[in-house]
Order: sequence, then structure tokens, then C-alpha cells
Amino acid sequence: MSAFASRLLAALGPEVVLTEPADLAVYAFDAFTENALPSAALIPRDAREVAIAVRIAGECGEPVVPRGAGTGLCGGAVPSRGGLVIAFARMNRILELDVRNRRARVQPGLINLDLSKAVAGHGVFFAPDPSSQKISMIGGNVGTNAGGPHCLSYGTMTNHVIGLTYVDDAGELRRTSLDDPGYDLTGVLVGSEGTLGVVTEVEVRLLRLPEAVRVCVAAFPDVESASEAVSAIIGAGLVPTALEIMDALITRAVEAHYHAGYPAGAGAVLLVEIAGANDDVAAGEAAIAAIARAHGALSWRAARDRAERDLLWAARKGAAGAIGRIAPNYYIQDACVPRTRLPEVMHVIDEIARAHRLPVGNVFHAGDGNLHPLLMFDRRIPREVQAVIDAGVEILTACIAMGGTISGEHGIGFEKRETLSLVFSTDDLAAMGRVRDVFDPRRAFNPDKIFPSGAACGEVGVRAAASA
Amino acid sequence: MIAKGARARRGPGALGAHEPAQVVEPVDAAETAAALAAAAAAGAAVVVHGGGTLQAAANLPARYDVALLTRRLDAVHAYDPRDLTIGVGAGTTLEVLARRLAEHRQFVPFDAPLAARATLGGTLAAGWAGPRRARYGRPRDLVIGTTVALADGTCASSGGMVVKNVTGYDLGKLYVGSHGTLGALVRVNLKLLPAPAARRLALAPFEPETRERVVAHAREREIEPAALLVLDGGFVPRHLADRDGRPLVVALFEGSEVLVDRALREYRSALGAAGVAETRILDDRVAGDAFQTILDGYVGARERSATFLARGLPSEASARAERARGVVPDGYALETIADLATGDVVVRLSWRAAAEAAFPAAVGGLRAALGRAHRIAGDPRAWELVDAWGETPSALATMRGIKQRFDPAGTLAPGRFLSGL
Repeated sequence: MSAFASRLLAALGPEVVLTEPADLAVYAFDAFTENALPSAALIPRDAREVAIAVRIAGECGEPVVPRGAGTGLCGGAVPSRGGLVIAFARMNRILELDVRNRRARVQPGLINLDLSKAVAGHGVFFAPDPSSQKISMIGGNVGTNAGGPHCLSYGTMTNHVIGLTYVDDAGELRRTSLDDPGYDLTGVLVGSEGTLGVVTEVEVRLLRLPEAVRVCVAAFPDVESASEAVSAIIGAGLVPTALEIMDALITRAVEAHYHAGYPAGAGAVLLVEIAGANDDVAAGEAAIAAIARAHGALSWRAARDRAERDLLWAARKGAAGAIGRIAPNYYIQDACVPRTRLPEVMHVIDEIARAHRLPVGNVFHAGDGNLHPLLMFDRRIPREVQAVIDAGVEILTACIAMGGTISGEHGIGFEKRETLSLVFSTDDLAAMGRVRDVFDPRRAFNPDKIFPSGAACGEVGVRAAASA
Repeated sequence: MIAKGARARRGPGALGAHEPAQVVEPVDAAETAAALAAAAAAGAAVVVHGGGTLQAAANLPARYDVALLTRRLDAVHAYDPRDLTIGVGAGTTLEVLARRLAEHRQFVPFDAPLAARATLGGTLAAGWAGPRRARYGRPRDLVIGTTVALADGTCASSGGMVVKNVTGYDLGKLYVGSHGTLGALVRVNLKLLPAPAARRLALAPFEPETRERVVAHAREREIEPAALLVLDGGFVPRHLADRDGRPLVVALFEGSEVLVDRALREYRSALGAAGVAETRILDDRVAGDAFQTILDGYVGARERSATFLARGLPSEASARAERARGVVPDGYALETIADLATGDVVVRLSWRAAAEAAFPAAVGGLRAALGRAHRIAGDPRAWELVDAWGETPSALATMRGIKQRFDPAGTLAPGRFLSGL
């Protein structure tokens, strides 16, 4: 056992500190391919234990990697340099619920869906709903500024987090709130992927449940026509609560698994959710259906009841899992383009996949221009592994060229850190480095994430240091 | 110190009696960055000026040599209405922006007072967030990308032109509300909203003794208004005031025609049940203009007056405003706005010349009653007499560190931010 692990154990005890390699194995990876074993894992019961552990890590010069449920796809929770992983499964309570003012204060280990379930009886809900919401935690959602299908009209995590408590690099508890004066540290911490501190409490805003919800499914001949319909819907100033596309391959896989009632023979399926007041929902459906038909929709159907609605959503959110039926491995990409570029980018993705001889499935948040191409491959075939990596970079490069970016909701993590310099200049990255310098001068919080390694990374540190 | 009777604004960029030795008006990011670098090299202090409508919301600078006017940073860099996004120069006024967006039935609900003068950059830098944020989110929530010029002469961008983005730190959040102490906003990219088909403003004067009931009935609605305010005293625009000078409850409804009609029916009958005799309804353009006039009132400074804004919980807004009205010393008068949807309480304190010595104590009393109060407007006398915030943030050391890293020489608005930042 390392000296660091023994110090943690001595200070906090074996109930909350794990040091045996067999116990640590589950904290070596997330949903990305890389893994690395930490020296110790902390499963804290409260913020005080987090603070003590961070202080000890600081004294021992060890890195600290906060972790949600490990559903991240970019290696953001991988302890690449060992050190301490902090996992929040025990800190999963709702600490305060203020229905009148539509606020809740929760612990970071609370599972996303559990929050909405717990407050539904009060007529409110928590809007960000990543597809992983049945297992992913609010704390992890804060780290990646998670989105989900419904952020089309409700916005992502950053629009719903109104305050945070975090443990800083010195092991001190700090509190931020949008109501407080001063720099908006809350806004900087959300989406910082655990590189600025360890969040121990989250204050969120809740929304009123809509009076009516309608979920509709339209079949299209192909992804391009469905994408054109989405661009046209947004262009007409219609912003429903969700606009999701699945291509033929994904739709077939999903139907085989869920039997949700998607038109399995369609070239592409558009899932539309419209929520609001009764009258608006009916009118909204009519307007959106008309645009869909004008862009080649072959059919349009509204779910009859809540059960059917829920099943359509369960199938949509389980799409990535259903791919297991048709490919041994898949790689899901996350990128964003301006919404007018959707038809074009879908065409380009198809060409890239073809050139690399990879089957591709598309299931994505079309209304936000947020793409998720799934490249299918067999890990045992080296050519395919390399083709997936190359195709992934080509897709990101194409999105950047269209005025888009390399992550809409999954984050940069370990996976895309080298790609970040395709989006931002050295000066842009230097500004981010200045913020990092303040929160994490030792580069101890989640090292090797977000920012490029090597020269660019050194430059960020050096530039900021020179200007200090 | 300000001499008695000093005028609020003289040359461009004047802050109270503080006049800059130099005024620069860059036309693009490169010129802005060069101006900042030159000032930093000379050890000069720069204050960035948009429309000057919220300059009272920060402290007077400790040093002041150069005014950097943003009004020529008004290019439209990227606008394809079908994307529902726009990238514009930070010096664009909100009225010009609104007009451009209205051509395509789009809008941004920034609710800035004096929109004809207020600039996008200035409104964001001042951290302004108005009454409609309960419905549409804060201005910060619509910012999807920023470019700033920094004191070392570089320009730094974050975010982009897409509506969902987790690519590096979201530094736009840091610049919004930083009062120009970290850099000069040059370009801002915004997410846009489709304009509502209908807009109506419901105005209802009520008897002060029925306040509690009126507030409860206005608040607990099936269809919530986009803004819900209770105005007292001079905050009631003159052309909307009734003869008795009664307080006014104002609800702005936005949405489809059908929904707005239904909301109004429901709202009127709820107010009727609370004993409100008449509710006047203004339509569309007239409603928008009246709402803007109400917003202008937030910063409507008179001689010997100062206006403060205190954030808090919506359910307590009316009670907090009431509490503030109860702590007014002799020689002082208080007018209030209680924002029932956001929890903001706005108070305008006015005083007679003879009572001026008690001003700091009067503000202290208000801050105790309201929990906090940030100055947003006022006679330049008020700028000198009390701190704009009157409180110290809990994460001050971190904020100081950020200021130090972005502006090590103290070039940008030194001393204007809270706690001397």
C-alpha cells in the first residue's frame, strides 16, 4: 500500500477508503477505452470527508479525480496518473426542496432521474435528462454540463445549476451562488469536468410540469430529408421540447429490442415532443407535422397515452445499448453543428463511414444540431480499430469546418484533448489556463483531461505564469 | 472627491466627476486589444464604456486614464436566422439588436433599461438580469460564445456558434457580470428565441391594505406570466398611474394568442377575487413600450436618489419590500418594486439635502432589512458615499486570483468591482 493510501486510511477509516487493488478495479475506468488504477478510492458520506482527503492528497502531491456513475464516454473519470478517485454513491440525498421557489439542494451522488421522480408529486421536474439519466449522477452531470433530448427548449445543466458547494485545492469548502455578487464561479465550474475542484453540493432550479405533453413519430425516406425537416422546423421559429432523429439502422435495432412502435421500415424516424398548455400543444403539433410532410414525411403519428409516450422515450434513450444486437463494438461520437448544416453534415458523415468501410448508425439531438454517429466495429480487427479512430477525427474536423464544435454534451475528457486545439487558438487556451491556475495551480484535479498534452499544455501554464 | 453639484456626465466616458485623459474608440478586436496593451504598457487604467446606463452599478475606479468606448464595435458578424443564433459586436445597442431580430420574428429577453443606449456588452458585463428571466432564463444563459480583448493585448474566444457546447471552459460566464475588470467584450454570440405571437400587459391598481391578498392571487396562477411586478410610488410610470397614486400590479403575458387570452381571463378573475376592481390591458406594441418604460424606471436617477436591487426568493419578495419600507429614516423616502417571479426587490431611496449625512446609515438599514442591496443607479453623490455592493463574497480569494491572472497590472477598471477588485 502506498504511503498516501495509508494516510487516507488512517485519517478516514476503511468504511470510506478503499485501497485493495480488487476493490479499486471498478474505479479504473468509465465508458471510454482507457483505464488506470488509482492508489485509493474514497466513498465519502459527507463533504467534510472529501475536504480531508483532498487536503491529504495535496500534502502527498497526489492527483484527485472526482467521479459520478462512470457513464462518461470520453475517459473524463479515468485516474490516468493514479492517486485518489472520489466516488459519490453514498452522497445521494435531496437536502432541501423548496417547491414554492422551485429550487432543490442536492448531493452530487443523487441519480439524475431520482430527482425528477422525487419531486414529480409537487408538480415540478428537473429538466436536464441525458440518456444515461437512470444511472448518471447530478455531480457528473455538472462536470460535463450534460444535456439530453429535452435541452432543446430547456437548456443544459449550466442553465439549471444556480449554486454549488465545492472543495478547493486547499481542501476548503467553498460556496457559490448565482444570487451572490462577484464573478460567476458557478458558471465556470459547470462543464469543467472535475478539473477545478470537487463539487459536494448542487443547487438546482426546477421547472413546472407542463399541462400537456405530446410525443409524435414521423417516418422519413432517409436521414437527409429528416434533417431538412428539422432545419425547417427550427428555421420557422418552432422550438418544441425535443426533436430527435434515428436512422434506419438504429430504428431497426431499437424496435427489435423495445417494440415501441417506431416504423421499422423507415429510412429515418423523427421523434418530436411538444409540451406546454393544452391549446399550444395541439397547434404546435399541426404546424410541425405540416413542415414534416412538406419535407417528405411518409407518416405522422402521435402517441395515444402516457405509456406509449414513455415507451417511445425509453427506446430512444436506450438506443446505444440496443446496438449491442448488431455490432460487437461501437464508438459513439459527439459533435455539434449550426442547425442549418444538419443535412450537409449527415451526408458528410455517411461519406466518411463509407470511405473507411464502417457501418454507421445515427441517433441524435437534431433540434440542437448535436450529432451522435455510432461507428460499428470489431475490436479484434486492428484495421477496424484504426478506421474508427481516423473516421472519428474526420467527422470532428468536418463539424469544425461547418462552424460547429467537437462536443455538445459528453465533454472533452481524455479522448478529445488533442482535438481541442483544432477549435481554439493558443490565446484562447491560455485564457482557460489562467482560470485553471487559480483553482488548481498544482494540476492535481483530474489531470490529463480537456487540455492538450505536450507543447500546447506547457504553453498554457507558462504563458499564464509569465503574465502573473 | 466629488464637489457638490458635480454633473453626472461631461465628456464621453465621464464617471461622476472623473474624466478620462484619453478616449479610444476601437472598431474591431485587434484595435481593442492593442488599446488595452498600450494602456497596460503605460501603466494607465482603462474603463470600458457601452451605453453608460449601468455605470452606477459599480464603484468609481481607483484610477482612471482611458475610456474605451465600444460603440463602434457594432458589426453583425454572423446571422442566419434559420439557425436561431447571432454573433454581434459587443457595442451593439439592445434596441438595434431587437429591431434586427424582430425582422425575423426573433428576440432576446434581456430586459435592459434604456435599451436605446444600453449595449449588449455593457448589459452583460454589468450582470443585468431582468424580470423575464423567470420565464426565459438569464442573459448569461443565452450567451453561447464570447471574444474578449485582454490586458496583455491578446484576444481570447470561448464557446462558439452552436447551442450546445462542452468544449473547454465556459469563460463567457466569467465575463458576464465582471464589470469590465477582466477584459473588454468584443463579440458575443447569442442563442435566440422565436418571438411570441401575442403580448399583453395587465395593469391593476390596488388598495395598499389588500396587498397581501393581491400578491397571493397574482402569484398562484395556472398559466404564469412572463413577468410579474408590484410597483410602488414613482416606479409606476406617470402615464399608467391612477389619480390616487395607488400601487400597481403588472403582469406581462407572452405566448400564442389562444394561450394569452386564456391566461388573461384567468388572471383577471383571480385579481377580481382578491378585490381588484379594474384591470387594464395593453396590447402588443403598446404593451412592449409600457414594459420598457417600467424597465427604464429601474435606473431612472433623480437628484439625491439612489436605486438598489436585492436578489432573494420569489415567495418573499413582497414581504421584503414591505420590510424595506419600514426602515426609512426621517428626511428619506422610499419607492419599491417587488418582482414576484424572480424575487428581486428594487428600492429607490431619496433624501432631502439636510438629511444627506445620514445616507450611509440609511443604506445600511436597507441592506439589513433586505439581506443585501446592490446599487444600480443614483446621483453621483451616492457613488462616493457607499460601496455599490456592501458585501464581501465568500470566494473572494479565488476571485482575487482570477483578477490577478487576467489583469496583473490592474489596467482594467481598477477598484470598480466588489471588495476593491
